[in-house]
Amino acid sequence: MELGRLIEEARAKLGSDLLEAGGVKPLLLRVKPERVVEAASLLKQRGFNHPLSVTGVDYPERKEIEVIYHVSRLEDKAVVALKVALSRDKPSLPSLRGVWPGVHLHERETWEMLGVRFEGHPELKRFLLQDDWEEGVYPLRRDYKLKPEV
Amino acid sequence: MPVRVAWGIQHPMSGHLTLYLDVDGDYVINTEPDVGYTHRGLEKTAEYRHFIQFVPIIERACNFDASNFALGYARAVEALMGVEVPERAKYLRVIAAELSRIMSHLYAQALLSMTGGFETMTVWSANDRELILDLLEMLTGARVTHTYIVPGGVRADLPEGFKGRSEEVLSYLERRIWDYYKMLFQNKTFQDRTMGVGVLSREEAIELGVTGPNLRASGVDFDTRRDDPYAAYDKLDFNVVVFKEGDSYTRALVRFYEIAESIKIIRQALKDLPEGPVKCKVPPALPKGEVYTRVETGRGELGIYLVGAGGNRPYRLKISAPSFRNLMGLIHLCRDVPMGDIPVIYYSFDILLLDVDR
Repeated sequence: MELGRLIEEARAKLGSDLLEAGGVKPLLLRVKPERVVEAASLLKQRGFNHPLSVTGVDYPERKEIEVIYHVSRLEDKAVVALKVALSRDKPSLPSLRGVWPGVHLHERETWEMLGVRFEGHPELKRFLLQDDWEEGVYPLRRDYKLKPEV
Repeated sequence: MPVRVAWGIQHPMSGHLTLYLDVDGDYVINTEPDVGYTHRGLEKTAEYRHFIQFVPIIERACNFDASNFALGYARAVEALMGVEVPERAKYLRVIAAELSRIMSHLYAQALLSMTGGFETMTVWSANDRELILDLLEMLTGARVTHTYIVPGGVRADLPEGFKGRSEEVLSYLERRIWDYYKMLFQNKTFQDRTMGVGVLSREEAIELGVTGPNLRASGVDFDTRRDDPYAAYDKLDFNVVVFKEGDSYTRALVRFYEIAESIKIIRQALKDLPEGPVKCKVPPALPKGEVYTRVETGRGELGIYLVGAGGNRPYRLKISAPSFRNLMGLIHLCRDVPMGDIPVIYYSFDILLLDVDR
Protein backbone atom coordinates (compact mmCIF):
# COMPACT_ATOMS: atom_id res chain seq x y z
CA MET A 1 0.00 0.00 0.00
CA GLU A 2 1.18 3.48 -0.83
CA LEU A 3 2.58 5.42 2.10
CA GLY A 4 0.58 8.48 1.01
CA ARG A 5 -2.66 6.58 1.42
CA LEU A 6 -1.52 5.43 4.86
CA ILE A 7 -1.07 9.05 5.94
CA GLU A 8 -4.57 9.89 4.68
CA GLU A 9 -6.00 6.96 6.57
CA ALA A 10 -4.18 7.96 9.76
CA ARG A 11 -5.47 11.51 9.36
CA ALA A 12 -9.02 10.27 8.91
CA LYS A 13 -8.77 8.14 12.03
CA LEU A 14 -6.85 10.45 14.35
CA GLY A 15 -7.91 13.88 13.04
CA SER A 16 -6.03 16.73 14.65
CA ASP A 17 -4.28 14.31 17.05
CA LEU A 18 -1.99 13.39 14.19
CA LEU A 19 0.48 16.18 14.72
CA GLU A 20 2.96 15.51 11.97
CA ALA A 21 3.21 13.19 8.98
CA GLY A 22 5.70 12.94 6.18
CA GLY A 23 9.05 11.65 5.01
CA VAL A 24 9.78 8.41 3.24
CA LYS A 25 12.74 6.66 4.87
CA PRO A 26 11.37 6.37 7.47
CA LEU A 27 7.81 7.62 7.23
CA LEU A 28 7.30 9.81 10.29
CA LEU A 29 4.01 9.95 12.18
CA ARG A 30 3.79 12.07 15.31
CA VAL A 31 0.69 11.57 17.43
CA LYS A 32 -0.63 12.64 20.80
CA PRO A 33 0.38 10.17 23.55
CA GLU A 34 -3.20 9.23 24.40
CA ARG A 35 -3.87 8.11 20.80
CA VAL A 36 -0.69 6.08 20.36
CA VAL A 37 -2.35 2.67 20.75
CA GLU A 38 -4.88 3.51 18.03
CA ALA A 39 -2.14 4.70 15.71
CA ALA A 40 -0.08 1.57 16.37
CA SER A 41 -3.08 -0.69 15.75
CA LEU A 42 -3.75 1.04 12.44
CA LEU A 43 -0.12 0.53 11.42
CA LYS A 44 -0.24 -3.10 12.40
CA GLN A 45 -3.42 -3.64 10.37
CA ARG A 46 -1.62 -2.16 7.40
CA GLY A 47 1.20 -4.68 7.66
CA PHE A 48 3.72 -2.98 9.92
CA ASN A 49 4.39 -5.94 12.18
CA HIS A 50 8.18 -6.21 12.47
CA PRO A 51 9.41 -4.00 15.35
CA LEU A 52 12.94 -2.62 14.94
CA SER A 53 13.66 -0.38 17.88
CA VAL A 54 12.31 1.93 20.56
CA THR A 55 14.28 5.08 21.28
CA GLY A 56 13.89 7.80 23.85
CA VAL A 57 15.40 11.25 23.37
CA ASP A 58 15.54 13.84 26.14
CA TYR A 59 14.98 17.53 25.29
CA PRO A 60 15.34 19.49 28.58
CA GLU A 61 14.85 22.94 26.94
CA ARG A 62 11.50 21.86 25.55
CA LYS A 63 10.75 19.97 28.81
CA GLU A 64 9.94 16.93 26.70
CA ILE A 65 11.03 13.36 26.22
CA GLU A 66 10.36 11.93 22.79
CA VAL A 67 9.76 8.23 22.33
CA ILE A 68 10.14 6.83 18.84
CA TYR A 69 9.01 3.39 17.68
CA HIS A 70 10.61 2.15 14.48
CA VAL A 71 8.57 -0.59 12.84
CA SER A 72 9.00 -2.14 9.44
CA ARG A 73 6.79 -3.84 6.90
CA LEU A 74 8.50 -6.79 5.26
CA GLU A 75 6.36 -6.83 2.09
CA ASP A 76 7.69 -3.55 0.70
CA LYS A 77 10.53 -3.00 3.22
CA ALA A 78 9.02 0.31 4.35
CA VAL A 79 9.90 1.68 7.79
CA VAL A 80 7.65 3.87 9.88
CA ALA A 81 8.70 5.99 12.85
CA LEU A 82 5.87 6.51 15.32
CA LYS A 83 6.75 9.40 17.55
CA VAL A 84 5.22 10.79 20.74
CA ALA A 85 6.36 13.71 22.86
CA LEU A 86 5.85 13.32 26.62
CA SER A 87 6.11 15.78 29.45
CA ARG A 88 9.52 15.52 31.06
CA ASP A 89 8.22 15.73 34.63
CA LYS A 90 6.07 12.64 34.43
CA PRO A 91 6.73 10.83 31.17
CA SER A 92 4.29 8.03 30.63
CA LEU A 93 2.44 6.43 27.75
CA PRO A 94 0.49 3.22 27.21
CA SER A 95 2.67 0.24 26.44
CA LEU A 96 2.53 -0.97 22.86
CA ARG A 97 3.50 -4.47 23.88
CA GLY A 98 -0.04 -5.62 23.19
CA VAL A 99 0.25 -4.47 19.57
CA TRP A 100 3.87 -5.44 18.92
CA PRO A 101 5.09 -8.14 21.36
CA GLY A 102 8.66 -7.61 20.12
CA VAL A 103 8.98 -4.21 21.81
CA HIS A 104 8.94 -5.84 25.27
CA LEU A 105 12.67 -5.51 25.99
CA HIS A 106 13.02 -2.24 24.10
CA GLU A 107 10.39 -0.59 26.30
CA ARG A 108 12.07 -1.98 29.40
CA GLU A 109 15.36 -0.47 28.29
CA THR A 110 13.76 2.91 27.60
CA TRP A 111 12.14 2.89 31.03
CA GLU A 112 15.43 2.05 32.67
CA MET A 113 17.55 4.55 30.79
CA LEU A 114 15.14 7.50 30.51
CA GLY A 115 12.47 6.88 33.13
CA VAL A 116 9.57 6.68 30.69
CA ARG A 117 6.69 4.72 32.25
CA PHE A 118 4.96 2.33 29.90
CA GLU A 119 1.52 1.82 31.43
CA GLY A 120 0.42 -1.77 31.28
CA HIS A 121 3.89 -3.22 30.74
CA PRO A 122 4.06 -6.33 32.94
CA GLU A 123 7.76 -6.36 33.64
CA LEU A 124 9.20 -2.88 34.16
CA LYS A 125 12.26 -3.81 36.12
CA ARG A 126 15.94 -3.20 35.92
CA PHE A 127 17.97 -5.29 33.53
CA LEU A 128 20.95 -3.48 32.00
CA LEU A 129 22.11 -1.28 34.87
CA GLN A 130 23.78 -2.69 37.92
CA ASP A 131 21.62 -3.71 40.86
CA ASP A 132 22.80 -0.96 43.23
CA TRP A 133 22.13 1.85 40.73
CA GLU A 134 20.36 4.74 42.47
CA GLU A 135 16.55 4.85 42.13
CA GLY A 136 15.26 7.66 39.97
CA VAL A 137 18.56 8.39 38.23
CA TYR A 138 18.26 7.90 34.49
CA PRO A 139 21.61 7.84 32.70
CA LEU A 140 20.44 8.72 29.20
CA ARG A 141 18.74 11.93 30.27
CA ARG A 142 20.73 14.99 29.30
CA ASP A 143 21.09 16.24 32.88
CA TYR A 144 22.97 13.10 33.90
CA LYS A 145 26.61 14.11 33.42
CA LEU A 146 29.52 11.74 33.11
CA LYS A 147 32.36 12.33 35.53
CA PRO A 148 35.70 13.33 34.01
CA GLU A 149 37.92 10.35 33.35
CA VAL A 150 40.98 11.72 35.18
CA MET B 1 7.63 -27.80 41.96
CA PRO B 2 10.01 -25.81 39.74
CA VAL B 3 13.45 -24.83 41.00
CA ARG B 4 15.17 -21.67 39.86
CA VAL B 5 18.64 -22.29 38.44
CA ALA B 6 21.05 -19.60 37.32
CA TRP B 7 22.65 -20.64 34.02
CA GLY B 8 25.62 -18.30 33.90
CA ILE B 9 27.31 -15.97 34.54
CA GLN B 10 30.29 -18.18 35.23
CA HIS B 11 28.93 -21.20 33.42
CA PRO B 12 31.42 -22.48 30.83
CA MET B 13 28.83 -22.41 28.03
CA SER B 14 26.96 -19.21 28.83
CA GLY B 15 29.21 -16.43 27.64
CA HIS B 16 28.27 -13.21 29.40
CA LEU B 17 24.63 -14.12 29.68
CA THR B 18 22.73 -15.16 32.76
CA LEU B 19 19.54 -17.09 32.17
CA TYR B 20 17.39 -17.79 35.18
CA LEU B 21 15.75 -21.10 34.37
CA ASP B 22 12.73 -22.42 36.23
CA VAL B 23 13.46 -26.12 36.06
CA ASP B 24 11.22 -29.05 36.83
CA GLY B 25 13.32 -32.20 36.70
CA ASP B 26 15.20 -31.86 33.42
CA TYR B 27 12.60 -29.57 31.89
CA VAL B 28 12.84 -25.81 31.61
CA ILE B 29 9.43 -24.28 32.22
CA ASN B 30 10.26 -20.60 32.06
CA THR B 31 13.30 -18.46 31.31
CA GLU B 32 14.25 -15.01 32.40
CA PRO B 33 17.39 -13.39 30.99
CA ASP B 34 19.60 -11.17 33.06
CA VAL B 35 21.86 -9.16 30.81
CA GLY B 36 24.03 -6.13 31.50
CA TYR B 37 27.22 -7.83 32.65
CA THR B 38 29.19 -6.06 29.93
CA HIS B 39 27.14 -2.86 29.84
CA ARG B 40 29.50 0.01 29.06
CA GLY B 41 27.11 2.82 28.29
CA LEU B 42 28.20 3.35 24.69
CA GLU B 43 25.14 5.46 23.89
CA LYS B 44 25.98 7.89 26.67
CA THR B 45 29.66 7.88 25.72
CA ALA B 46 28.69 8.98 22.20
CA GLU B 47 27.28 12.23 23.62
CA TYR B 48 30.72 13.02 25.00
CA ARG B 49 32.84 12.26 21.94
CA HIS B 50 33.60 13.92 18.64
CA PHE B 51 31.76 11.91 16.02
CA ILE B 52 35.07 10.69 14.55
CA GLN B 53 36.32 9.62 17.97
CA PHE B 54 33.31 7.39 18.31
CA VAL B 55 34.26 5.10 15.39
CA PRO B 56 36.64 2.87 17.40
CA ILE B 57 34.18 2.88 20.29
CA ILE B 58 31.21 1.60 18.30
CA GLU B 59 33.36 -1.29 17.08
CA ARG B 60 33.54 -2.39 20.70
CA ALA B 61 29.79 -2.84 20.61
CA CYS B 62 30.50 -6.04 18.71
CA ASN B 63 34.14 -7.08 18.64
CA PHE B 64 33.51 -10.09 16.46
CA ASP B 65 31.95 -8.10 13.64
CA ALA B 66 33.68 -4.76 13.99
CA SER B 67 33.68 -3.47 10.41
CA ASN B 68 29.97 -3.99 9.92
CA PHE B 69 29.23 -1.94 13.03
CA ALA B 70 31.57 0.82 11.89
CA LEU B 71 29.81 0.75 8.52
CA GLY B 72 26.42 1.13 10.20
CA TYR B 73 27.65 4.15 12.11
CA ALA B 74 29.32 5.68 9.06
CA ARG B 75 26.13 5.25 7.08
CA ALA B 76 24.12 7.12 9.71
CA VAL B 77 26.62 9.99 9.97
CA GLU B 78 26.84 10.35 6.20
CA ALA B 79 23.07 10.26 5.82
CA LEU B 80 22.73 13.04 8.38
CA MET B 81 25.39 15.14 6.65
CA GLY B 82 24.25 14.33 3.14
CA VAL B 83 27.73 13.13 2.16
CA GLU B 84 28.22 10.70 -0.72
CA VAL B 85 31.46 8.71 -0.42
CA PRO B 86 33.68 7.97 -3.46
CA GLU B 87 32.90 4.84 -5.49
CA ARG B 88 36.18 3.11 -4.66
CA ALA B 89 35.54 3.55 -0.95
CA LYS B 90 32.13 1.89 -1.33
CA TYR B 91 33.71 -1.22 -2.80
CA LEU B 92 36.47 -1.31 -0.18
CA ARG B 93 33.79 -1.04 2.49
CA VAL B 94 32.04 -4.05 1.03
CA ILE B 95 35.29 -6.04 1.13
CA ALA B 96 35.96 -5.18 4.78
CA ALA B 97 32.34 -5.79 5.77
CA GLU B 98 32.13 -9.16 4.08
CA LEU B 99 35.44 -10.34 5.55
CA SER B 100 34.07 -9.27 8.89
CA ARG B 101 30.88 -11.23 8.25
CA ILE B 102 32.81 -14.41 7.41
CA MET B 103 34.81 -13.91 10.60
CA SER B 104 31.60 -13.60 12.63
CA HIS B 105 29.91 -16.60 10.99
CA LEU B 106 32.95 -18.84 11.48
CA TYR B 107 33.02 -17.90 15.13
CA ALA B 108 29.32 -18.71 15.49
CA GLN B 109 29.89 -22.05 13.84
CA ALA B 110 32.80 -22.80 16.14
CA LEU B 111 30.75 -22.13 19.26
CA LEU B 112 27.69 -24.03 18.09
CA SER B 113 29.72 -27.12 17.24
CA MET B 114 31.38 -26.91 20.66
CA THR B 115 28.01 -27.24 22.41
CA GLY B 116 27.40 -30.55 20.69
CA GLY B 117 30.88 -31.87 21.38
CA PHE B 118 32.10 -31.48 17.80
CA GLU B 119 35.42 -30.02 18.82
CA THR B 120 37.10 -30.85 15.52
CA MET B 121 34.75 -28.43 13.81
CA THR B 122 35.43 -25.82 16.49
CA VAL B 123 39.14 -25.99 15.82
CA TRP B 124 38.71 -26.00 12.05
CA SER B 125 36.49 -22.92 12.11
CA ALA B 126 38.73 -21.08 14.53
CA ASN B 127 41.76 -21.98 12.46
CA ASP B 128 40.28 -20.79 9.18
CA ARG B 129 39.06 -17.66 10.89
CA GLU B 130 42.74 -16.85 11.46
CA LEU B 131 43.26 -16.64 7.70
CA ILE B 132 40.47 -14.09 7.46
CA LEU B 133 41.93 -12.16 10.39
CA ASP B 134 45.29 -12.08 8.61
CA LEU B 135 43.62 -10.75 5.47
CA LEU B 136 41.89 -8.07 7.52
CA GLU B 137 45.17 -7.22 9.17
CA MET B 138 46.72 -6.77 5.75
CA LEU B 139 43.86 -4.54 4.63
CA THR B 140 43.29 -2.51 7.78
CA GLY B 141 46.30 -2.95 10.04
CA ALA B 142 44.35 -4.59 12.83
CA ARG B 143 43.03 -8.09 13.34
CA VAL B 144 39.80 -7.73 15.28
CA THR B 145 38.78 -4.10 15.69
CA HIS B 146 39.79 -2.47 12.46
CA THR B 147 38.61 1.17 12.55
CA TYR B 148 38.89 0.99 8.77
CA ILE B 149 35.51 2.35 7.77
CA VAL B 150 35.18 5.96 8.88
CA PRO B 151 32.66 8.67 7.98
CA GLY B 152 33.72 9.89 4.53
CA GLY B 153 35.16 6.65 3.20
CA VAL B 154 37.82 4.24 4.33
CA ARG B 155 41.09 4.97 6.06
CA ALA B 156 43.53 3.54 3.51
CA ASP B 157 43.68 2.14 0.01
CA LEU B 158 44.18 -1.51 -0.88
CA PRO B 159 47.70 -2.65 0.09
CA GLU B 160 50.07 -4.15 -2.45
CA GLY B 161 49.59 -7.86 -2.96
CA PHE B 162 46.16 -7.93 -1.33
CA LYS B 163 44.33 -9.14 -4.44
CA GLY B 164 46.67 -12.12 -4.84
CA ARG B 165 46.63 -13.11 -1.19
CA SER B 166 42.87 -12.76 -0.87
CA GLU B 167 42.33 -14.94 -3.93
CA GLU B 168 44.51 -17.63 -2.32
CA VAL B 169 42.55 -17.47 0.94
CA LEU B 170 39.14 -17.29 -0.71
CA SER B 171 39.74 -20.21 -3.04
CA TYR B 172 41.04 -22.22 -0.09
CA LEU B 173 37.98 -21.31 1.97
CA GLU B 174 35.66 -22.05 -0.92
CA ARG B 175 36.93 -25.64 -1.04
CA ARG B 176 37.25 -25.85 2.72
CA ILE B 177 33.63 -25.05 3.60
CA TRP B 178 32.52 -28.26 1.88
CA ASP B 179 34.67 -30.08 4.43
CA TYR B 180 32.58 -28.33 7.07
CA TYR B 181 29.49 -29.48 5.31
CA LYS B 182 30.58 -33.11 5.36
CA MET B 183 32.00 -32.91 8.86
CA LEU B 184 29.17 -31.03 10.56
CA PHE B 185 26.02 -30.64 8.52
CA GLN B 186 25.95 -34.19 7.16
CA ASN B 187 26.90 -35.63 10.53
CA LYS B 188 24.01 -37.71 11.86
CA THR B 189 24.78 -36.85 15.48
CA PHE B 190 24.81 -33.13 14.77
CA GLN B 191 21.58 -33.42 12.82
CA ASP B 192 19.90 -35.26 15.68
CA ARG B 193 21.17 -32.67 18.11
CA THR B 194 19.92 -29.63 16.18
CA MET B 195 17.15 -30.61 13.77
CA GLY B 196 13.73 -29.79 15.17
CA VAL B 197 15.31 -28.16 18.22
CA GLY B 198 14.15 -24.62 18.94
CA VAL B 199 11.73 -24.17 16.05
CA LEU B 200 10.77 -20.54 15.51
CA SER B 201 7.84 -20.10 13.12
CA ARG B 202 7.74 -17.38 10.50
CA GLU B 203 4.99 -15.44 12.30
CA GLU B 204 6.76 -15.60 15.64
CA ALA B 205 10.05 -14.48 14.12
CA ILE B 206 8.42 -11.44 12.53
CA GLU B 207 6.33 -10.52 15.53
CA LEU B 208 9.23 -10.77 17.99
CA GLY B 209 11.45 -8.63 15.80
CA VAL B 210 14.05 -11.36 15.26
CA THR B 211 16.59 -10.36 12.63
CA GLY B 212 19.41 -11.49 10.36
CA PRO B 213 20.22 -15.14 9.64
CA ASN B 214 17.75 -16.20 12.35
CA LEU B 215 14.92 -14.42 10.53
CA ARG B 216 15.95 -15.87 7.18
CA ALA B 217 16.10 -19.38 8.68
CA SER B 218 12.41 -18.97 9.54
CA GLY B 219 11.44 -18.32 5.96
CA VAL B 220 11.48 -14.54 5.72
CA ASP B 221 13.18 -13.30 2.58
CA PHE B 222 14.70 -10.12 3.90
CA ASP B 223 18.27 -8.87 3.81
CA THR B 224 19.11 -5.21 4.33
CA ARG B 225 22.00 -5.50 1.87
CA ARG B 226 19.53 -6.19 -0.92
CA ASP B 227 16.38 -4.46 0.32
CA ASP B 228 17.81 -1.20 1.63
CA PRO B 229 21.13 -1.15 -0.23
CA TYR B 230 24.15 0.76 0.98
CA ALA B 231 27.84 0.90 0.03
CA ALA B 232 28.17 -0.95 -3.30
CA TYR B 233 25.71 -3.77 -2.60
CA ASP B 234 23.24 -2.57 -5.22
CA LYS B 235 25.86 -3.17 -7.92
CA LEU B 236 26.89 -6.63 -6.76
CA ASP B 237 25.18 -9.90 -7.52
CA PHE B 238 24.46 -12.23 -4.61
CA ASN B 239 21.73 -14.48 -3.30
CA VAL B 240 19.83 -14.07 -0.06
CA VAL B 241 19.88 -17.42 1.72
CA VAL B 242 16.41 -18.37 2.98
CA PHE B 243 15.17 -21.58 4.57
CA LYS B 244 11.77 -22.26 6.03
CA GLU B 245 12.31 -24.82 8.81
CA GLY B 246 13.36 -22.32 11.50
CA ASP B 247 15.20 -24.80 13.72
CA SER B 248 18.73 -24.68 15.12
CA TYR B 249 20.11 -26.68 12.20
CA THR B 250 18.76 -24.27 9.59
CA ARG B 251 20.02 -21.25 11.50
CA ALA B 252 23.51 -22.73 11.30
CA LEU B 253 22.98 -23.68 7.66
CA VAL B 254 21.99 -20.13 6.68
CA ARG B 255 25.29 -18.89 8.09
CA PHE B 256 27.15 -21.63 6.27
CA TYR B 257 25.73 -20.64 2.88
CA GLU B 258 26.23 -16.97 3.66
CA ILE B 259 29.96 -17.63 3.96
CA ALA B 260 29.86 -18.91 0.36
CA GLU B 261 27.87 -15.82 -0.71
CA SER B 262 30.35 -13.52 1.03
CA ILE B 263 33.23 -15.14 -0.84
CA LYS B 264 31.35 -14.45 -4.08
CA ILE B 265 30.75 -10.82 -3.10
CA ILE B 266 34.39 -10.15 -2.17
CA ARG B 267 35.57 -11.62 -5.48
CA GLN B 268 33.19 -9.41 -7.45
CA ALA B 269 34.10 -6.33 -5.45
CA LEU B 270 37.80 -6.91 -6.06
CA LYS B 271 37.19 -7.47 -9.76
CA ASP B 272 34.96 -4.42 -10.28
CA LEU B 273 36.96 -2.13 -7.97
CA PRO B 274 36.88 1.33 -9.61
CA GLU B 275 39.80 3.75 -9.56
CA GLY B 276 39.70 6.97 -7.62
CA PRO B 277 40.04 8.43 -4.14
CA VAL B 278 39.10 6.36 -1.10
CA LYS B 279 37.80 9.13 1.11
CA CYS B 280 36.24 12.53 0.94
CA LYS B 281 36.01 15.50 3.26
CA VAL B 282 33.19 15.51 5.76
CA PRO B 283 31.84 18.64 7.46
CA PRO B 284 33.34 19.31 10.89
CA ALA B 285 30.00 19.22 12.68
CA LEU B 286 26.82 17.15 12.67
CA PRO B 287 23.97 19.25 11.26
CA LYS B 288 20.64 19.60 13.07
CA GLY B 289 18.35 16.73 12.28
CA GLU B 290 17.80 13.06 12.78
CA VAL B 291 18.22 9.88 10.75
CA TYR B 292 17.47 6.22 11.16
CA THR B 293 19.62 3.97 9.00
CA ARG B 294 20.27 0.26 9.02
CA VAL B 295 22.87 -2.16 7.75
CA GLU B 296 23.09 -5.93 7.74
CA THR B 297 25.76 -7.16 10.13
CA GLY B 298 26.75 -10.79 10.62
CA ARG B 299 24.26 -11.12 13.46
CA GLY B 300 21.42 -9.24 11.81
CA GLU B 301 20.22 -5.77 11.17
CA LEU B 302 21.88 -2.92 13.02
CA GLY B 303 19.78 0.23 13.27
CA ILE B 304 21.35 3.55 14.18
CA TYR B 305 19.17 6.44 15.23
CA LEU B 306 21.30 9.57 15.23
CA VAL B 307 20.23 13.03 16.34
CA GLY B 308 22.51 15.93 15.53
CA ALA B 309 22.27 19.36 17.14
CA GLY B 310 24.84 21.39 15.23
CA GLY B 311 27.86 20.55 17.37
CA ASN B 312 30.52 17.99 16.61
CA ARG B 313 29.08 15.52 19.11
CA PRO B 314 25.92 13.49 18.57
CA TYR B 315 23.00 14.82 20.60
CA ARG B 316 21.68 11.28 20.90
CA LEU B 317 22.81 8.03 19.39
CA LYS B 318 20.71 4.92 19.69
CA ILE B 319 22.27 1.61 18.76
CA SER B 320 19.51 -0.85 17.96
CA ALA B 321 21.67 -3.92 18.11
CA PRO B 322 20.85 -7.17 16.31
CA SER B 323 21.53 -9.47 19.27
CA PHE B 324 19.24 -7.38 21.46
CA ARG B 325 16.42 -8.09 19.05
CA ASN B 326 17.33 -11.76 18.72
CA LEU B 327 17.19 -12.09 22.50
CA MET B 328 13.39 -11.88 22.25
CA GLY B 329 13.41 -15.00 20.09
CA LEU B 330 15.74 -16.77 22.49
CA ILE B 331 13.51 -16.12 25.51
CA HIS B 332 10.50 -17.26 23.54
CA LEU B 333 12.17 -20.57 22.62
CA CYS B 334 13.75 -21.37 25.99
CA ARG B 335 10.40 -22.47 27.39
CA ASP B 336 9.18 -26.04 27.68
CA VAL B 337 12.42 -27.53 26.44
CA PRO B 338 14.86 -30.00 28.02
CA MET B 339 17.72 -28.35 29.87
CA GLY B 340 20.27 -29.82 27.46
CA ASP B 341 18.76 -27.93 24.51
CA ILE B 342 19.40 -24.52 26.06
CA PRO B 343 23.06 -24.21 24.90
CA VAL B 344 22.16 -25.46 21.41
CA ILE B 345 19.36 -22.92 21.02
CA TYR B 346 21.49 -20.17 22.51
CA TYR B 347 24.44 -20.72 20.19
CA SER B 348 22.29 -21.32 17.15
CA PHE B 349 20.97 -17.78 17.69
CA ASP B 350 24.52 -16.39 17.66
CA ILE B 351 23.77 -13.87 20.40
CA LEU B 352 26.75 -11.85 21.50
CA LEU B 353 26.22 -10.22 24.86
CA LEU B 354 28.58 -7.38 23.98
CA ASP B 355 26.07 -6.00 21.56
CA VAL B 356 23.03 -6.76 23.70
CA ASP B 357 24.51 -4.67 26.50
CA ARG B 358 26.36 -2.01 24.51
